[in-house]
Amino acid sequence: MLVVNHVSKNYGNFEALKDIDLEFSSGIYGLLAPNGAGKTTLIKLLATLIFPSKGEILYNGTNISTLGESYREILGYLPQEFGYYKNFSPKQFLSYIGALKGIDPETLEQRIDRLLKLVALDDVATKKMKKFSGGMIQRVGIAQAMLNDPKILILDEPTAGLDPKERVRFRNLLSELGRDRIVILSTHIVSDVESIANEVIMLKDQKILYKDRILHICKMMEGVVYETVISYEQVATLKQRVFPLSERQEDGLLKVRFVAKGAPEPAWTAVKPNLEDVFLYVYRDEMRGEGAL
Amino acid sequence: MSLWQLELKKAFRSPVVYVLISLFLFLNFSLLYKHAGIRDELKVTNELVDKFGYQIDEKMFAKLRVYYLAKLEKMNELTNKKIGKTYKRANDFFAPSEYKNRENFNKAEFHVMMETAMIENYYESISNIDDFYRKLDLSKNALSDIRGYGLKGAAAEHTRHYYRKLGERLDELVQNGEHKTLFFFGMIYRMHALLFKDLMRSMIFQTMVLVVLITAHIVTYEFQNRTHLTAYSSKRGRRLMVDKLAASLVAALCVSTTIVGPSLSVYFLLFDYSGLWHVPVSSFFNREFSFPYISWWKLPFAAYLGLIVVVFIICQLFFAMVAYVISMWCKNNYVAYALFAIGFGVAVFVPGIMPKSSLALFWTIYTPFSLVLNPHLWFMGWNVFFPKNYVPMTIIVWIVLLTAAMAITLLKFKKEPIH
Ligand SMILES: Nc1ncnc2c1ncn2[C@@H]1O[C@H](COP(=O)(O)OP(=O)(O)OP(=O)(O)O)[C@@H](O)[C@H]1O
Ligand SMILES: [Mg+2]
Repeated sequence: MLVVNHVSKNYGNFEALKDIDLEFSSGIYGLLAPNGAGKTTLIKLLATLIFPSKGEILYNGTNISTLGESYREILGYLPQEFGYYKNFSPKQFLSYIGALKGIDPETLEQRIDRLLKLVALDDVATKKMKKFSGGMIQRVGIAQAMLNDPKILILDEPTAGLDPKERVRFRNLLSELGRDRIVILSTHIVSDVESIANEVIMLKDQKILYKDRILHICKMMEGVVYETVISYEQVATLKQRVFPLSERQEDGLLKVRFVAKGAPEPAWTAVKPNLEDVFLYVYRDEMRGEGAL
Repeated sequence: MSLWQLELKKAFRSPVVYVLISLFLFLNFSLLYKHAGIRDELKVTNELVDKFGYQIDEKMFAKLRVYYLAKLEKMNELTNKKIGKTYKRANDFFAPSEYKNRENFNKAEFHVMMETAMIENYYESISNIDDFYRKLDLSKNALSDIRGYGLKGAAAEHTRHYYRKLGERLDELVQNGEHKTLFFFGMIYRMHALLFKDLMRSMIFQTMVLVVLITAHIVTYEFQNRTHLTAYSSKRGRRLMVDKLAASLVAALCVSTTIVGPSLSVYFLLFDYSGLWHVPVSSFFNREFSFPYISWWKLPFAAYLGLIVVVFIICQLFFAMVAYVISMWCKNNYVAYALFAIGFGVAVFVPGIMPKSSLALFWTIYTPFSLVLNPHLWFMGWNVFFPKNYVPMTIIVWIVLLTAAMAITLLKFKKEPIH
């Protein structure tokens, strides 16, 4: 079991994470937060690349810094900015990473072949990565992270650059992996985690806002999410009174989904809130700055 | 393949390394080629050693005299026949006024004259050796050092002490006859300077450039390729830097061999030292300036060469370690090159700005950077800046310094955040 215990992380005067408490056992954890929330910071702490300013991170009761090699041995990590050797083929690169991970050569060879097939790169296994697309590189990164069959798999925005088909493949792969290990993946794309995460962790104001099952998180907004169909002219008036989540064209009219506290109007239909609704509502201040709405 | 080997491979994947190695070898070969013209003349020395041995004593001198006179007679027979003239000294034949007469001889005959003149040079110089060493007055050297460098107080006293010690060594050297040995004529051919100054110093700097380039490349490789997050969170983790250190040191050895091996091979194929390996470098004939070479220990040429190569390699390992430490701190290979160059400049510059009365003047020269400026004077007494312990002390001090620096750097890296 992986435990984050009262961890804070400062960059100089800036506090990126404040007093974080988390527990991970087998399963898939979605780290869901907008840009700059501290996802990468938390993940780098878990990967022992940076160290907590306060608090500690324990694996089975021992500080991960103390465990050192024996902790990193069971760790698989895909960085957000995944670097690679341009003149290497995926096979050569994975062999090098395998050597760093201390995997014996025979096992390594088999794993590389299997993983390259798994991420659908087997036909370019010996081609230089120089000419690879972003999505192909990302898949090399995923393969690299899984090379040592890690007990703790941490993926920092793994779906960035993947096309829809690969996203689906990847999700299926993860839900299989999540059965007997800790999988932590960060994302700001709700659909990445919605269908597969056992638990979702949301960060806000440098703290943990929620760490719960998706169902429970959504329940917190039950009864305040509505949909209604209105004409374009009415949109402005509605938006003054409620918090809009999304809108969609329908037969020349507009179907608006929104959050409203207080008594509903007859034309509004109450709907079951989903994770996307929660995300948009929770981070409404952060998102406004980015012009997301 | 183990990790240090994988790191080593990274260094030799860069084409710059091969381009530079080729360029440097070409430069060294062309330097030697420029001097190739003297190779026939050098053979005379080997012939003499072959016939009489290299140690000069009464018996050897008598034999040499007979041999010389016979050669001179033969030469005069030849000149008498061709131009109706004989010479008292073979060297007179090479006087400027004789240029008209010289035109009457072919290449083979000319060679006879040249050989006779060479033997004559040895023959005549040998009688001057005792006189030359008797007249060496080291207190004069002390004075000229003190005046020349403007030394005062403790530094001046240190200089006088230095020459007293060198004087003791000189007495010992004269006592056991190290100086009375045949060697290439330094005053004419400057072979010691060609080998140990021109060639060796070039090789030192060439290898240093490669070593710094490669070390910084290996150390900063993950940061430059943005693979640092993956590499330093792997099982091997930050200890990968230890493998990179090993790879850097092995690379320094490889590069040293690649530069020195071919260059020295060509040198010794070109210039025949076959009879001279056992001749002490303090030989009177090795002298190239008014002051002779006085090695602090009795060192035959072969041993001296071996020592120089060993020190060469040690210095390159030092440079690799310095570059390693710098690269670990700045994590950018270009910055590392610049810092190394600045560091080199400062280290060489510092002794020059030390107060002329303080002993710091002499302590600040104990750096590999100052040391490599004059490889032809390693293990030699020359002036007050070439003390007996110069080479060994520099090596010992810098092993300690660099080991400490590397330990601190590695410990720091272990706790360093990697962004
Ligand atoms: N090395 C650093 N030095 C100073 N501040 C940093 C550093 N790394 C991150 N930060 C700051 O910490 C905050 C959290 O950054 P972090 O990269 O963890 O966010 P994130 O959730 O991963 O964002 P994104 O979705 O864009 O990847 C940001 O405000 C960022 O500016
Ligand atoms: Mg991030």
